[in-house]
Order: sequence, then C-alpha cells, then structure tokens
Amino acid sequence: MNYEMFDAKKIIGEVTAAEADLNPSIVVVSTDSAPRTGMGEFIAKYPNRYYELGIMEQAGAGVSAGLATTGKTPVFCAPAPFTTARPFEMFKIDIGYMRQNVKVIGRNCGFNYSDLGPTHFGLEDMALVRLIPGVVILAPMDASQLRGAMRAMLRYEGPVYLRIGTAPIPKIFDDEDFEIGKGFVVREGSDVAIITTGEISRNVFEAAEKLAAEGINVMVVAMPTVAPIDEELVIRAARQTGRIVTVEEHYIVGGLGSAVCEVCAKSAPVPVRRIGVPMEFLSAGQYMDLVRHCKLDADGIVETVKDFVNNP
Amino acid sequence: MDELKRFALEIRIETLNMLSRHGFGHVGGSLSIADALAVLYGKQMRYDPKNPKWEGRDYLVLSKGHCGPALYSALAIKGFFPREELLTINKLGTRLPSHTDKNLTPGIDMTTGSLGQGVSCALGMALGLKVQGKPNLVYAIIGDGEAQEGQVWETMLIAPNKGLDNFIVLLDNNRQQLDGFTNDISSLGDVCKKAEAFGWFVVDVDGHDVAAIDQAIEECKRSDKPGFINLNTIKGKGWPAKEAVLGNHALRGAAFEGVDEALADLRRQLEEMQ
Repeated sequence: MNYEMFDAKKIIGEVTAAEADLNPSIVVVSTDSAPRTGMGEFIAKYPNRYYELGIMEQAGAGVSAGLATTGKTPVFCAPAPFTTARPFEMFKIDIGYMRQNVKVIGRNCGFNYSDLGPTHFGLEDMALVRLIPGVVILAPMDASQLRGAMRAMLRYEGPVYLRIGTAPIPKIFDDEDFEIGKGFVVREGSDVAIITTGEISRNVFEAAEKLAAEGINVMVVAMPTVAPIDEELVIRAARQTGRIVTVEEHYIVGGLGSAVCEVCAKSAPVPVRRIGVPMEFLSAGQYMDLVRHCKLDADGIVETVKDFVNNP
Repeated sequence: MDELKRFALEIRIETLNMLSRHGFGHVGGSLSIADALAVLYGKQMRYDPKNPKWEGRDYLVLSKGHCGPALYSALAIKGFFPREELLTINKLGTRLPSHTDKNLTPGIDMTTGSLGQGVSCALGMALGLKVQGKPNLVYAIIGDGEAQEGQVWETMLIAPNKGLDNFIVLLDNNRQQLDGFTNDISSLGDVCKKAEAFGWFVVDVDGHDVAAIDQAIEECKRSDKPGFINLNTIKGKGWPAKEAVLGNHALRGAAFEGVDEALADLRRQLEEMQ
C-alpha cells in the first residue's frame, strides 16, 4: 500500500509548538535529546521555555516533576529506554505516584534504532510504564493519529507516556480526532480479531487484506491507547470472533498482548496469540530484517493468523 | 535566637516522643536536622500554616525523606495540623508516613524517600519558579549518605548552569549512614570544595548552631549562585546516649530504652530556657 509519508519528529515539534501557543505552561525538558525529537521549532520560538539539562535522565524525570509542581506542563523527550527504563523509579514516584502533569515521550521505540542495538531498543517501555498506576500510554499508529495523540496528551491533566518511532510515518487515517482510552474497529470480521498498536499496525492492515483474499475474515482493532486499555472493545472482539491475535513492536510480555490477555482472562476467555518481539535480546540489524525476524511483517502476520485459524 | 533554640528542642521532643511511642523510626537523622528545621520554619521560610498551598510560600524538599518525623514535628508545632496527630505516625490511614509525602501531608510539597530523587525535584521547582520571575525560594535537605547517589551530582551540575540563585541545598553532614560511618563506607571527601568546584556558593557551619545556620542562609540568599550549606552535625543529637554511635540510624522496640530519661532531660532544658 502506498501511503503519503511524514516525519514523526516534525509532527511532534509542530504540535508541541502549536499547543504551546495556546497553553503558556507547556515547557520542554531535554537531556541532550529534544532537538532530535523535533523540538527545533519550539526551541526557536520559545527559548525560555526549553530546558536543556545535559545527559542525565534521572534528573530529567525529577526536574520535570518539580517543574510540574510549580504549574508547568513539561514535555520530557528522549529515546524510549532513556525515559522509561533508565529513570524508572523517578517515573514511578516523582511522576506517577504524585500524578504530576508531565508528558513523557519515548522516541525511537521498539527496534526503531535498528543500527544501535540492544542499548537503544525500547522493547519493554510499555511493560514498565504499565506497572505505574494511572499513567496513560499512547502508541499512535499513523501521522494523523500522532497529531491527534500529541494534542490529546498536551490537553490531558495527568501523567502520559507517548511512544513513537522516528522513521517516516505513513498517513493512513484522515481523522486526527484522538480520544484517550478508546480503540476503534478498522475492519469488521468474524473469523479472528487482530488487535494492534503503534506504527507496526500498517503491516496488520496489509495482512488483513491478504487474509481476506484467502477467505479469512479478519476483524482489525486499533488500540492506540494501551493504558488504560479499551476493555469493552477487547471483550467485543473476543466475543465476536472467538480468537485474538495481538501485534506490537514490543516484547510479547508486558505490553499490548499482556493487556489484552488480562482483559480476556477476566471477562471473555478466548485463545490469544501474541505477535511481537520474542523474549530474547535482539541483534542490531536492518529494520526490515528485525521486523521479519519477529514475524511482524505482513507475511509473518498472515502466517501466524492462518496457523491459528487452522489449528485453534 | 533563643526562640529558635527552644523550637529546636521542641522538635527533638516531639520527634522522640512520637517515634518511641510508635516503637520504630529514624531517630538519628531526624535529630541531626532539628536545628536546621528550627531556623527554616522559625525564621527563614515564608509560609502560612492555615493555607499550606499559599502561592507566596517558600518550599522545602526533605530529600532525605526518612527524617519526616522531624519535619512533621516542626509543621505541627507551627500549626499545619494538630500536635496530637503526630502520634498517628505509620498507623494505617495516617497522613504522616515515615517518609514525607506530597499526596498526604499539609505542608509537604514533594514525595521523597528514595534517596537522590528529591533534590532533583527541588531543582525543578526552583527552575519553574525562577522562569516565572517568582521570589519564592526552594530549600532541599540532603544527607551525607544520600550524597553517594549519582543523581545528587546531576543536580549539583545543573543548578549553577541554570543560575538558580533561588535554590539552597543543606547537607546534613552527620557522617553516618545505615551501615556505619560515611568515611568508612564511601567518603564524600572535601564536600565543600567539591560543591565549590561545581559552581555553588558554599558555607561550612556547625549544624547545631542556629545563629550560624541562620547567618549561612542569609549569605546564600545574597549570593547570585545556588547555595550549598554544609551542616556539620551529630547523628542522634539531643539524646546523648545515641549521639554518633553505631546503630542510631533507625531504632526499634527495645532500642528505645532510656528514651524517657532523654525526653525528661530535653524538657528540663526547654523549661530552663523559658
């Protein structure tokens, strides 16, 4: 499928600058990381609302919490492992426990930093943040959703984590409306439901068409908010199709797949297969090779779904 | 200054009373910061106990959060909440947990307890106030053991770089930590020189001399740099049997033996001053 492609960083920067025009409390906290998160426009426009601390993510999380205490709305952005795993305890207590109005962006999530290897992969960020009660997790799926999610995040009162890759991102949906906590059905179906999140979703949409051509009627559910997850929609998908596949660029433990399993176990027990990064340390590699290795490409998804449908 | 000395004695009395009645608590480090708290809440800080969220207030972050009992005592004495409430410490549903908690306690502006974190948050507050052009000051109290945390030195690096002249860190340098004497575990070396080298305005004082602490804060306020006050203190100060001895970090049960005599002695000192 040919989509128009956009620069995710540019979108992040544009929306932050536009929202900052409306909301003077918005500030940006950088740990040698904001310009590469697309904040150039914001920095040029609001140099006094941009705080470069240097490479110190623990302090980055704490300083953000302190700024929020004085009424600011800090956007703390850096590569995903450095805003989640590194300062996990500061995220938990300084931001989460105190429900500080801090917006954390984990860019280059998943194995988006494919050349840089395990130190720079963010494969457990959602799992970690899901362990912090009350923090919203957003993983927008395309350019329109990224715009909508950024706006929704900056207008929301409370801690939010937004994960995004920084490779060119397709525009799949026209609608930029984004409601935190709501998933939506992209395609109705009855044989199996695929629930997906983040930019890898584009491969799901392609897989669904291929599967349809082979007579497998796939329901596709978009879940751009991973916490709190849209339980009602998960239950509906489970009841409507009787089996669920989850797809995410994240470890199969702790992220979307786990969240879906938790809902099913409680309210709608159906078999679930999770497609994502297996529990291993991935090698550095080319992005598409890593996608294929994890069976996150359209063909890999088709293969798993067919196996699931044929061998329930 | 006599009033501050009395206030410090009262903080020690309330702290020992609440912790011994409860049967557990961080006695050593709570007693060592009593004089600094007396100066802060008795003279230097602006606050309104009837309106703890008053916008004009100065902020204190107790980064060594386990010494909450001493701060709670100061807050109760100044009327943030009833003194009787001190006896609810660590009882189910209390507003006074061991470690200071923004979500629970009137007058507490930052949740602390995991060492090293509070001082970064305090810096964020100082930055947030400064860029808004507000006159409020932010104080943070850290421990010498706490200063082994790398995050403390992240904050030490940022504050001078950001020109935070509204930020004063007080190091409760009681030379002891949980496992023993700081110098035996991992010495801070010449911490004043270190702070100076990082770009702070440094004052080295007797941390039990209220006049000296007060003077140090005044000097920090006049400086255009962030202030760093090295409080040379004695862990357990005020309960002679527990001063600068091993095992005085946190006491439990039988370790409180002799507390009644210590309290009687402190109350006698208070009476003599009145």
